[in-house]
Amino acid sequence: MLEVLGRETSANVQKVRWLCEEIGLPYEHTNLGGPFGGTDTPEYLALNPNKRVPTIIDDGYVLWESNACVQYLASIHAEGSWWPTDAKIRGSAQRWMDFALGTLAPAHGPVFSGLIRTAPEKRNADAIAAGRDNFSAQLAIMDRYLGESEYIAGPDITMGDIGPAPFVYRWFNMPIEREDYPNLKRWYDSMAARPVFKKIVIDIGLQ
Amino acid sequence: MLRVIGRKTSSNVMKVLWACAELGLDFEREDLGGPFGGNDSPEYLALNPNGVVPTIVDDDFVLWESNSILRYLAHEHGHGTLWPTDARTRARAERWMDWQLSVLSPALGPVFRGLVRTPEAERDMAVIGKARDAAAGAMAILDRYLGETAFVGGPEFSMGDIPVGIGTYRWFALPIEREDFPNVKRWYDALTEREGYQEHIMLPME
Repeated sequence: MLEVLGRETSANVQKVRWLCEEIGLPYEHTNLGGPFGGTDTPEYLALNPNKRVPTIIDDGYVLWESNACVQYLASIHAEGSWWPTDAKIRGSAQRWMDFALGTLAPAHGPVFSGLIRTAPEKRNADAIAAGRDNFSAQLAIMDRYLGESEYIAGPDITMGDIGPAPFVYRWFNMPIEREDYPNLKRWYDSMAARPVFKKIVIDIGLQ
Repeated sequence: MLRVIGRKTSSNVMKVLWACAELGLDFEREDLGGPFGGNDSPEYLALNPNGVVPTIVDDDFVLWESNSILRYLAHEHGHGTLWPTDARTRARAERWMDWQLSVLSPALGPVFRGLVRTPEAERDMAVIGKARDAAAGAMAILDRYLGETAFVGGPEFSMGDIPVGIGTYRWFALPIEREDFPNVKRWYDALTEREGYQEHIMLPME
């Protein structure tokens, strides 16, 4: 059976679990990393020299980097739905996965780690405020785009929605000031209405 | 004809140019970004609300995010070469594309900008030094992996080698201390034999 290694509170692990459960792919989940530790062991480094989570093992095949894991599983098990077969729709979906990885996640990082994973007395309020402004600016780009498209890559949900959604959950749930992004809100509400998203992302909460 | 928008000195634009060379694809390139400006124009933002380069226009299809452009062009024009048809090989290649975006580029970026795009008097050598150490840590991960495989996706060159290959050129070209990473060096030497790499990547840094 497919193994998914990585703590359930990691947005990157959530992406992989979310896809698996949407497509009914059975997997065995092991919490690892963060408070669970285990990313520095020789056994884990042999699987993933990058020391981060998630790592997946699919019948002996080892893969890490969460978006690559999502694309791999979707291409094998969900071609034509989560992995769009149309090259232009797929290109658009991948674009938003890359945007989430290279732009949105780093922008949200200082806010999330500052407010959720740092004790109040140790927080750097200026860094958190600057991070919030940057996070908001990136979400404005998504909002603009979602004004023209129901899901991130067109009329149907795809793997492209999985990349940014766990970070957008954090935007709507962290104790921060929020600008009004109506298209982003409509899109996020459609994510939040999915039972799997609720189970894998919302019910885990901010940790 | 394929339009590629973005200055050729951008490592992200370079990915597209090198891929086009590998695929034998004709394109027209327009300078934009950096010293050329234009990122903030309404016309460009209508194509790319993210305001960075590159953007491609292929007939009427507009795409931005360099690694996604690379995947798209590889899929359309490089089945079995840049685009591995085996799902596991392709995923290995894509993993290193993601890793360039999430690990290598954030580590190496401050070194490159500090030493190449910042006047000497304004350089923060502490920041540059710390980033160099992070970049060396990233190269150590790559070196370990390349001990087991000729290219990042497997025995053959693929799209996965392109983003990491561009960062690696900078690693070897920047005036910094470098640890000995023999597997990276062997792989890098193989890249330097490719025409597209020579033409678009192995250039003076600016």
